[in-house]
Amino acid sequence: MQIAIVIPVDLWEDDSEGVMTAWLFNSGDEVDEGDLLAEVMVEKAQYEIIAPSAGVLTIVKHEDEVVIKGAIIATLDA
Amino acid sequence: MTTKKATRKLTIARAMAEAIAQEMRIDPRVFVMGEDIGPLGGVFGTTRGLITEFGTERVRDTPISETAFIGAAVGAASDGMRPIVELMFVDFFGVCMDAIYNLMAKNTYFSGGKVRVPMVLMTSTGGGYSDAGQHSQCLYGTFAHLPGMKVVVPSNAYDAKGLMTAAIRDDNPVVYMYHKSLQGMGWLGTEKGATVAVPEESYTVEIGKAAVVRKGNDVSLVSLGAGVHHCLRAAEVLQKEGFSAEVLDLRSLVPLDREAVRASVGRTGRLIVVDEDYHSYGVSGEIIATVVEHNHTCLKAAPKRLAYPDIPIPFARPMEQWALPNADKIVDAFRQMMLNQ
Repeated sequence: MQIAIVIPVDLWEDDSEGVMTAWLFNSGDEVDEGDLLAEVMVEKAQYEIIAPSAGVLTIVKHEDEVVIKGAIIATLDA
Repeated sequence: MTTKKATRKLTIARAMAEAIAQEMRIDPRVFVMGEDIGPLGGVFGTTRGLITEFGTERVRDTPISETAFIGAAVGAASDGMRPIVELMFVDFFGVCMDAIYNLMAKNTYFSGGKVRVPMVLMTSTGGGYSDAGQHSQCLYGTFAHLPGMKVVVPSNAYDAKGLMTAAIRDDNPVVYMYHKSLQGMGWLGTEKGATVAVPEESYTVEIGKAAVVRKGNDVSLVSLGAGVHHCLRAAEVLQKEGFSAEVLDLRSLVPLDREAVRASVGRTGRLIVVDEDYHSYGVSGEIIATVVEHNHTCLKAAPKRLAYPDIPIPFARPMEQWALPNADKIVDAFRQMMLNQ
């Protein structure tokens, strides 16, 4: 089963764009539910992307790419 | 899940915070003080999450008075605690230097070893993001010059965690100088190469040991902090031109791994030192002296250094970028060296 990792719409307050500043795992890595996967920077503040479930990671939005709330940034195959 | 443990990466900021948290869990004497290190988690992310786990008694936000809280840390360390204090920008050492170099660095000597000062002074260094002359300096040489304190400078998250753990456990004062562009904070011009795999368990990186991060035969590129990444990029370029450059990451300035420097230059016969601190009277001159006062006959060419010019750091982006070391300048320095030899 594949699960999309989406930037939660309540992760930051307004509708500013963010930038993927760091992926802490590579595509193909196995991750656990609750692992810190990535950091998104919005207006100099950094927000955390947490794994919603366990699975094998495939990154869609890479470092330095601009993202908006609701964007699919990766998938997890369980 | 062994694959996962091996591949989890951290930014230097998170690696520092993880090391501090792990030491705070096993040693009640360890506590943190500084400006905005509480709910904000440090302007450069070095204490993120600590206040939630350890509370305001052990993670103490201070007023903007380095004179007061760094002085307080020296007192606490002398009395048996193991404080970690953050001087937000090294540029502001001026208001607290007496506590640092006359008290922290000398109390052990003055007391004949009866008073230990086991504290970590962590501080941000470096520029590249237009923060001008009072927020962009490195000042490595200033601290390394003065006796009585260890000085470490990590270039990646693995070393950052291991050096922080070693610094906290060290019975001597340790100045821990991290470079802002390596922290993984996007707005500071993040260097991707600093975010590397970091074990979850606690470990130490020995203070005083340099690391060969790339092997080579034709030239030794010796650097620290952000400069290591410039050297690695330069080495890639030189490889395409048929030269193999060795890159040595000093990691520690006090103690300085002079043997590693001499061994590398002994193998390659050529030396370029890359340092973002000021050119004169600093790290780059010390590294060159380390080689030539020991054995000048190993050199096939006069050594070179790429350091920050002896000027206040400009705010204007083109002017600052002109002044900073980078990979292109290192490649050019090597070409000059080969032409002139």
